[in-house]
Parts: sequence; structure tokens; C-alpha cells
Amino acid sequence: MRSSAARSRNRFILLMLAPATVLLAGLTLIPFIVSVGFSLTNYSLTAPNDIAFVGLGNYLALFSSSEFWNAAWVTVQFTVVAVGLQLVLGVGIAALLHHETRAVSALRLIYLLPMAITPVAAVFTFRMMFNPTLGVFNYILKSMGLPAQDWLGSPTMALASLILVDSWQWTPFILLIAAGGLAALDEEPLEAARMDGAGPMAIFFQHTLPMLFPYLAVAIVFRSIDAFKTFDIIFVLTNGGPGIATRTLNLLAYKQGIEFLSMGYAAAIAIVMLIVTIVASQLFLRRVDLFKPKAAL
Amino acid sequence: MAEMSMTDPMGRQILQPLTATTRIARAVAPWLRRLILWVFAIWCLFPIYWLATMSLKRQVDAMARTPRFWFQPIWDNYLAVISAGDIWGYFGSSLIVALATTAVALALGIPTAYVLARYRFRGNSDFGFWILSTRMTPPVAMLIPFFVLYVRTGLMDTYPGLVIAHVAINLSIVVWLMKGFFEDLPSELEEAAFMDGATYFQAFRQICLPVALPGIAAVAILSFLFSWNEFLFSLVLSNEIRTVPVGLYSFVGYQQVRWGELSASAVLMLVPVLAFVFIFQKQLVRGLTMGATK
Repeated sequence: MRSSAARSRNRFILLMLAPATVLLAGLTLIPFIVSVGFSLTNYSLTAPNDIAFVGLGNYLALFSSSEFWNAAWVTVQFTVVAVGLQLVLGVGIAALLHHETRAVSALRLIYLLPMAITPVAAVFTFRMMFNPTLGVFNYILKSMGLPAQDWLGSPTMALASLILVDSWQWTPFILLIAAGGLAALDEEPLEAARMDGAGPMAIFFQHTLPMLFPYLAVAIVFRSIDAFKTFDIIFVLTNGGPGIATRTLNLLAYKQGIEFLSMGYAAAIAIVMLIVTIVASQLFLRRVDLFKPKAAL
Repeated sequence: MAEMSMTDPMGRQILQPLTATTRIARAVAPWLRRLILWVFAIWCLFPIYWLATMSLKRQVDAMARTPRFWFQPIWDNYLAVISAGDIWGYFGSSLIVALATTAVALALGIPTAYVLARYRFRGNSDFGFWILSTRMTPPVAMLIPFFVLYVRTGLMDTYPGLVIAHVAINLSIVVWLMKGFFEDLPSELEEAAFMDGATYFQAFRQICLPVALPGIAAVAILSFLFSWNEFLFSLVLSNEIRTVPVGLYSFVGYQQVRWGELSASAVLMLVPVLAFVFIFQKQLVRGLTMGATK
């Protein structure tokens, strides 16, 4: 009797899981396996029938090419600086917002906009604003007596400009998660510290921030993984240029695969990116208590 | 200021006497805080404001060497974009793709999310992690095999092709967020249903699903939004069928200097997005932060 109940429970679980599992496996696992396969060949869509197994040849070519290491370095700079900036700004603004009493809902609504609106539309707007002669950014700089910048044209400024746009779009992400964390925080230890005479700065850094850490960890991991694979902003604003100054791994894979049609080589880049992502998310996300089922039926 | 020993009316010691600087800091702080918060708000709004003004400018105003903050607004750009008609095609394509994607992703994702949230079984959290990890995958890793497959099978430039790709991107988010909504429901719901002799499926279909409707609506909106905004897969997997972001991108390429009309197109494509933000703010916060805030 008991085992037949268990069987029908298991059958129910299986039936409910099956459709999405089959589809997700088909749409993500199989492409992954195909990608690994491609990456071991010289497959190119310019000569699709002329396919040969090259072993780790693509990876060796990749690791000995300067374009790969350049792209990797650009990607690391972009990810680390952008996420770092967004973390500091986001947590700072969230802390201020936590104590604010007036017009909080209006502020929250405004903060939500950058990450909700269509990236291509926003990025196109930045493109107009970055224009060296007609753009509003240089106008503002000049009217403050500062030198005009070649925002997207100079190799050093281009990466900074991309980080600026990414931070415009995604600082609110960290802000909202941090604000949610602050709202859920246990106020008692903070009150106790205040009674012991700790100043607001000391309380924030010694008590609030550590208690906020689980939330921030989630925000940092999500944000880093997304920044790592940023496409829209870079593609529309600089397309990797000037030269290769802003060509990230993602852009490099896109160029090799979709523009030059060398699928084997592009797949190798994608697999390297995938491994980095999996390692990073396994290392950090696993620690966070997001995965425990809460109810038990 | 000298250290003073003070007592409050209750006779307790006040541990920290206020120095002049902390007094000033406390008086100024609310204003400074408010100022910083609104400066940040202006920074968030500015590009959207600028886009809107550009769409209302005559060409001479839009291309003025000194950007004009005050100008005679005109609707010509909108009229030109609307009468040229390309944008209706983009809207139609985006609408078809986003609606179909949302329907398929919800139909497949909700049952999985329900079981993950409500039933304990071996590998539950591993399974949840796997679902979420598909969201982490760099899109190029999926894009390259998709591209090859589409070129070779004729799925290129078809609605089913685009919908399949968008479902692949959205399904993990749908499962993950719906799981969060189901977890919020009290488990007494099903327990009472089982008492009344309901089967597992009836408990899900007749008891939990109706209660979870607000959550389903929120996730549907998010799925629609993500599909509406999606650029990379739509760009690569079709040439003829242009969704709105791809259409806008092709404008940028061809008509670099017609900023007014470009801006008007961009504003039009943002209309549904902004409507969603205003109506469903709370659900969006939860969805856009991947369920990390409730």
C-alpha cells in the first residue's frame, strides 16, 4: 500500500519535471555537447563538408594567440571594474535609501528603469550622447570647463565608456538586492552597537555589511556572470573597437563564429567561457542557501 | 567641546555627548542624503529623458553643435516613422515571438517549478541548480550550435526558430521565479486537499495554480519583457523577421544621422516596457533581481 503511494508520488514528480527537463536538456545540454564536438574540429561554414578532427588544436591555437589573451584581459577588466563600481554605488545608495522617508516609492520606480528598458534603445541613446561633436556629454564637460573626451574613439576611453553604460544599466540591480537585504535585516544587533556608542560608519562597516553579505554574494555572482558575457552594450557602442581595445571574449567568439564562420575555433572560445562560468558559479553560488527546498510534501 | 557627563530625564547616562561636528552632520545628513538619492535618480532618468527630447526635435535642433535643452517640440519624427511603416513589422514580429515564447515557457516551466518548490526528492537542489545554471551559460556557447543547426535545417528566419531560442533563454528564469512564488504558499493548501482525497495533480491544478495566479502573471510579464528586449539571438537567427531591437539596430546602421526618427522609433519600442514598469513595479523588482528580493 505504502509503496504504491510512493510510486504514484514519484510518477507525479517525474511527469511534472519531464517536459521542461527534456526541452532544457535539448536546448542547452545538446548544444553544449555539440559545441565541445565542434571545438575539436576545424569545422567552418565556408567549407561545411571539409571537416576534420583536430584534437585540441583549436585550444592550443587559442592559448597561443595574442587576440585571445587580449580579449581575456579586456573581459577581466570590464567585469571587475564594472561590478566593483556597481557594488560600491549600489550598496551606498541602498544604505541611503534605507533611511529615506520621502518619495521612496518614486525613487525606487526610477531606479528600476535602467535595467527594465530595452538595452538596444538605451545603448543607442548613449551613442548619441557620446558623440564627440554633437553629444551632450562633451557639452556638459565643456560647460564645466573640462576637456572634451573622445568617448568611444580612444582605446582607453572606450572601455571606460562601456563600463559607464553597463553601470548605468546594472547598478540598480545591486541596489535593489541590497535594499531588499537591508529591509529584511535584524535590527537588534545594530541597536545594541548603537547603545555601545558605535558611530554610524562603524555600525555600517562592522555590523550591517557582514549581515548583508549573503544578499551581496548573490548579487555579485549574478552580476559578474552577466558582465562576463555582456553583448548588447559592446556590440552596439564599439563593436570591439577601436581596433581590439574593447573586444571581449564574447565579441571574439561572435566575430569568429558568426562573421568568419569558423565554428570550431569559435566553439573553443565559447567552451573556455563556459568552463570559467561553471567554475565561478559552483564556487560561489553553491555556498548560498538558495537551493534548499523549503516545503516538504 | 569638553567631555560632559550627562543624564537624560530617566537618569540614564548618555554615553556619547554630541560634538559640534556630529550635530552639524546630523542636521545636514537628511538633506545630503536626499540630494545624493535624487542625483542618482536623475542619472538613471537622463538617457530616457534625452531620448524623448531627441524624438521631439527638428533635425536642426537635434544636430545643433550646442545641444538644445529648450526647443520647439514637433511630432514630425513620429509621423515619419509611423507612416514609413517598417516599425509596424518589427512590432508585429516582436509581439508574435514574445507572446509565443511566454506561453510555451510558462506551460513547461510552471509544473517543474511547482514540484521543485513543494516536493522533497533526491537531487531536488541539484536539479534546481542545474536549471539556474542554464541561465548562466554564455549565450555564444548556445548560439554557435543553434546557428549551424538553423542554417542547415531551414529554421533560420522562421518564427518557430526564434521562439525556440527565446524559450531556451527564458525557461530557466520562469522555473526559478515560479519556484519562489510557490514556496511562498502555505503547505496547508495541499494537505487540506489531500485530506479531501485529491490526487497530486488535482492538488496542483485545482488548489495551488489558482492561488499562484498573481505570481504567474508577474512571471508572464517578465518573460514577455525579456523576449521583447532580447537582441543577440534575434539578430543572428533571422534576417527577414526583425524583432524591434534588431530593427532599431538596423536603423542605426543605415541612417546614422537621422537621430530624430531613430529616437522616435526607440521611444515607440519602449512604450510597452514603460507601461509594464509602471503597472507591475513590485513584481518586476522581484523578477529582475532573480528572486533575491521578495
